[in-house]
Amino acid sequence: MLRPFEMHQPESVEAASALVGRYGDEAAFYAGGTELLLVMKEGLVRYRHLVDLKTIPGLGALDYDAASRVLRIGGTVTHRALERHPAVRERFPIIAEVERQVANVRVRNVGTIGGNLCFAEPHADPGTLFLTFDAEVELAGPRDVRTVPMGAFFTGAYETARQPDEVLTAVRLREGGPHTRWAYMKFGIHERPTLGVAVALTLDADRRGVEDVRIAVGCVGPTPARVPAAEDILRGAPLAEVDGRLERAAAAAAAAADAVDDLHGSAEYKVEMVKVFVRRAFRAAAARFS
Amino acid sequence: MAETLRVVGRPVPRLDGLEKVTGRARYTVDLVVPGMAHGAILRSPLPRARLRGIDTSRAERLPGVVAVLTAADLGDIDPYYGQVIRDRPVIAIDEVRYAGEPVAAVAALDPATAREALDRIEVDYEALPPVLDLDAALAAGAPRVHTRRPAGAPPEAEGNICFHARVARGDPEAALAGAAHVFEHTFTFPMVYHYAMEPHAVVAAAEGPAVTVWTSAQHPFLVRADLARMFGRALEQVRVVVPYVGGGFGSKSYTKIEPLAVALARKAGRPVRVALSVAEACLTTRRHAARVVLRTGVDRDGRLVARVATIWLDTGAYADNGPRVTTKAARRVLGGYRCPHVRSDAYAVYTNTVPAGSFRAIGAPQTIWACEVQMDLIAQALGLDPVELRARNLGRRGEALFDHERPLDADLEAGLRRVAAAIGWDRPAAPRTGRGLAVGITDAGAEPVASAIVRLHADGSASVHESSTELGQGVRTVLAQIAAEALALPVERVGVVASDTAGTPYDRSTGASRSTTVMGLAVEAACQEVRAQLADAAAAALGTGTGSLVFEAGRIRAPDGREVTYGEAVRAFFAGPGGELVGRGYVRGGGRWTPPPLFWEVGWGAAEVAVDEETGQVRVARYASLADVGLAVNPPLAEGQDEGAAVMGLGHTLFEALRYEAGQLQNGTLVDYRVPLAEDLPALATGLVEDRNGPGAHGAKGMGEGAINPVAPAVTTALARACGVVVTELPLTPERVWRALRRRRAEQAIPAG
Amino acid sequence: MDAAAPAARPVVEISLTVNGRPHTLTVEPRETLLDVLRVRLGLTGAKLSCDVQVCGACTVLVDGLPVSACTYLAYEARGRQVLTIEGLADGDRLHPLQQAFIDHAAFQCGYCTPGMILAAKALLDEIPRPTADEVKHYLRGNICRCTGYKKILEAVAAAAEALAARHG
Repeated sequence: MLRPFEMHQPESVEAASALVGRYGDEAAFYAGGTELLLVMKEGLVRYRHLVDLKTIPGLGALDYDAASRVLRIGGTVTHRALERHPAVRERFPIIAEVERQVANVRVRNVGTIGGNLCFAEPHADPGTLFLTFDAEVELAGPRDVRTVPMGAFFTGAYETARQPDEVLTAVRLREGGPHTRWAYMKFGIHERPTLGVAVALTLDADRRGVEDVRIAVGCVGPTPARVPAAEDILRGAPLAEVDGRLERAAAAAAAAADAVDDLHGSAEYKVEMVKVFVRRAFRAAAARFS
Repeated sequence: MAETLRVVGRPVPRLDGLEKVTGRARYTVDLVVPGMAHGAILRSPLPRARLRGIDTSRAERLPGVVAVLTAADLGDIDPYYGQVIRDRPVIAIDEVRYAGEPVAAVAALDPATAREALDRIEVDYEALPPVLDLDAALAAGAPRVHTRRPAGAPPEAEGNICFHARVARGDPEAALAGAAHVFEHTFTFPMVYHYAMEPHAVVAAAEGPAVTVWTSAQHPFLVRADLARMFGRALEQVRVVVPYVGGGFGSKSYTKIEPLAVALARKAGRPVRVALSVAEACLTTRRHAARVVLRTGVDRDGRLVARVATIWLDTGAYADNGPRVTTKAARRVLGGYRCPHVRSDAYAVYTNTVPAGSFRAIGAPQTIWACEVQMDLIAQALGLDPVELRARNLGRRGEALFDHERPLDADLEAGLRRVAAAIGWDRPAAPRTGRGLAVGITDAGAEPVASAIVRLHADGSASVHESSTELGQGVRTVLAQIAAEALALPVERVGVVASDTAGTPYDRSTGASRSTTVMGLAVEAACQEVRAQLADAAAAALGTGTGSLVFEAGRIRAPDGREVTYGEAVRAFFAGPGGELVGRGYVRGGGRWTPPPLFWEVGWGAAEVAVDEETGQVRVARYASLADVGLAVNPPLAEGQDEGAAVMGLGHTLFEALRYEAGQLQNGTLVDYRVPLAEDLPALATGLVEDRNGPGAHGAKGMGEGAINPVAPAVTTALARACGVVVTELPLTPERVWRALRRRRAEQAIPAG
Repeated sequence: MDAAAPAARPVVEISLTVNGRPHTLTVEPRETLLDVLRVRLGLTGAKLSCDVQVCGACTVLVDGLPVSACTYLAYEARGRQVLTIEGLADGDRLHPLQQAFIDHAAFQCGYCTPGMILAAKALLDEIPRPTADEVKHYLRGNICRCTGYKKILEAVAAAAEALAARHG
């Protein structure tokens, strides 16, 4: 049973921002509510004012710009809308694939990308995936709009670079080039994932070596994170050397994992699974080149 | 003796189907009783503490609060209940014994106010050192969960031992000493939660002498008896009504929160609804966690010569059905095997955790898992096929494994071979896959005391009044079929009335697979009484004798071909448009029900699993289940019970475990407590053995519990075959399997010598 | 909520259509759609079970899409069409899913059934001929503790056939 609160229906980002500024700790932005209402029900937080972002025109826009090849996902776009958008299915199929696996169908119908990223639940999928894109987050405050690279957005468990009165108005992701393939693997038996690994693999034009690789590991630590140590090992590898380097890269990813013991398992196990799934996700991405 | 059955044995659509698929079925929480207030419960945050004081004054002042209940309000009643040991108070008195124990309760005009009032109750706790697991509870000098002996406690119980049961025969220690091989293993089974999707709910009214509760209880008459005793009422002053129940599985067996609701309603002076959340239901009951130590001696041919079993059951803070679970566990660990020398000791141990009680096949999943996995280990050690080892030791149909027991009424070996064939036992297994199988027998039935009333109305339709509660198992439909068969009526003309102690006569309980047999016979007997009266009425109406009357499709035909409908016969009897014939039937103990059990419930299961050795994840690809049902009164319903039990077994096998830390339950919500989902369903095949040799109507036996038992051992041994590790702790989570694989690799890496 | 709610609590007026009938209600923003349906409108088919959006017993369709009514504010349903289990049958004519659940004994205690049927309806509206895997994936969010799912999957498959036959 929720405690009483007032629902505000701002019609602009500035107005929304101002409301949260005015009510401080007693206010929260609200979109799908699939995470927020749960913690409110549990009594872990108490808000007397919810600021509905869905009444702001344009915040639910989902557009692909062919010139810049950038997908702009408005903050209140639902998982379902993202999964189904034709441009996403055609140009960012990995996103559609991952979104289809988030939680269950009811959460996907209501939950938003902005809400998911801002709540920063460690055991989540989209953030891990987005880290492997050229991606940035647009945050709008009372006075200005700023852009934060995706890599700098997650700062801790349930913590992000967003200031309390800033609205996540959009996430922007650039489409991969013709020589880039993605894979995402998630693992776990619980309702929320125990581990997620995203790999974006770019081969050179001749397909003879790894031009670039991005590896992100999520759910095992407080935030999803890229693993430069693993990427460095694989970057530039001729195809013949990939298998050998992959073992080392997976081990490096495991060593870098900031895993914690929790109901999902011990840190020791999770670290080992990082190794397993970095290997598997890399191979899955590589397999998509045929 | 092949009688032609019209209705029994047919896939009759369920009587409650229309209501349930249209949302019209009412459960306790859907009921609105006029003037009803809403209850909320304040629960102890500490696993063990002295209650130094409770200040409810601020809560009482909150507008909308009708009453606040504490132990101070229980002085004029007997506040303790528990069907064997009366150790559980209505709400905590002087002491709390588990985190989550009710300490106070509020009745308010709306649920939100009731919850808000909880925050205004101040409780002064003096934390005491808790015992949080078996080892802590059994340690020398451990704090006692119960410092005073409760009513019904066995006098010899010491320390935190709640109850002890033993099955013994011969001289097992001597036999073990002389055995060709002795095997010893320890098995660990977790605490699990029933997760009936409807949490417990009660609406209680206790103004004046009458006490009425609408409750999601499996055993209304046992609840009635407790309430009458506790609140000083005659049985006839207490009414327990049970609407549809959203799943029981034992979680709603015996008395749970009804006394608290009645006490609150009494103080409030108006009806009060207490509806638990799922998180609260998790704090109300669970299954007994178990540690099973099995020592088994066999001769050179693999025949069992001796078995010593020690079973430790974590019964939580209160006994609930712990004593009975203990008694069953002591026997069920021994399985359907012949073994001359036996000593099986089962102990229920108190801990400061949520009380454990009945849960599908009480004491069996834990112990049959241990027994069956060890049988496989024995087979492996002796180089025998696990089916052959079992065949060598399983009792035969007609053989009594113990002198005081009913002889086995099923062909255990034949069933085992059947599930083996179903799973393709002899086919080579693909890499990293394996197959396993198991058989378990449980002494089913509980006390065979039941009554039924059947009323034949003036239009020829009939009502069955009986108190088996409809938990989902389909009992109303099954009983309607039995009645329709006995009355020679179309089943559409037979209704079954919801359980209500004011109108449906005594039934001891619903559970332990007893309703089809025990209540079925009571219903059948009641129908026979109706038939006898119908015969008299028809004979009078037709001017013939009662001999040679034929009953068919609601009509009675005399030898000369003249006939009357049932309705006509009733109306003729009463010489008017109205009236009814009432038949009574009952079943009581003794006679044909001895020696116990009422019948043997047998579950056979075979699994094919695949394991991902890198992650330890186990997937059950195929599962074959077989049940011995005597006669399936309604085959799809019987299958459904078997399928449901098998999938429920996958829960404790692969996913489910309640996790405690420092006395606090960590995963009492569905986010963190993982039950089987649709995507976990293996290719599932169910079979029913129908030998028509059960004690129930038309040779029926009961079923619904047996299928849960073979799942864990079949999967555990299949996993062992798939990757060489035997995991003796459940659930087989990926991490647990991974660790076992890692240990084995490490052991193999150590050079011998 | 009734007499106990002091006048000071914020309220909002919402208009929504439930099972084809329009309603205008004054609700507190904090009231869930489940509360409004069950308590104010007496539509008790949708059930409260897990309360954390996992089990699906509270599933209702909002503009055709399944939502967890336990965690969906009634406020969100303003201006929308809500379908509950009570609105699925056409008078006495059961929806093919309801009939299939009866024909295949795809329920036992019935607590998950309204949500399960509505989730299946949304699935078949979106994918008229789903594969078994698609059904299992879609329904992973609807828990049943009684049936073991097998007969539910059979009923959904049968209903898909019936609906396909009906629509040609």
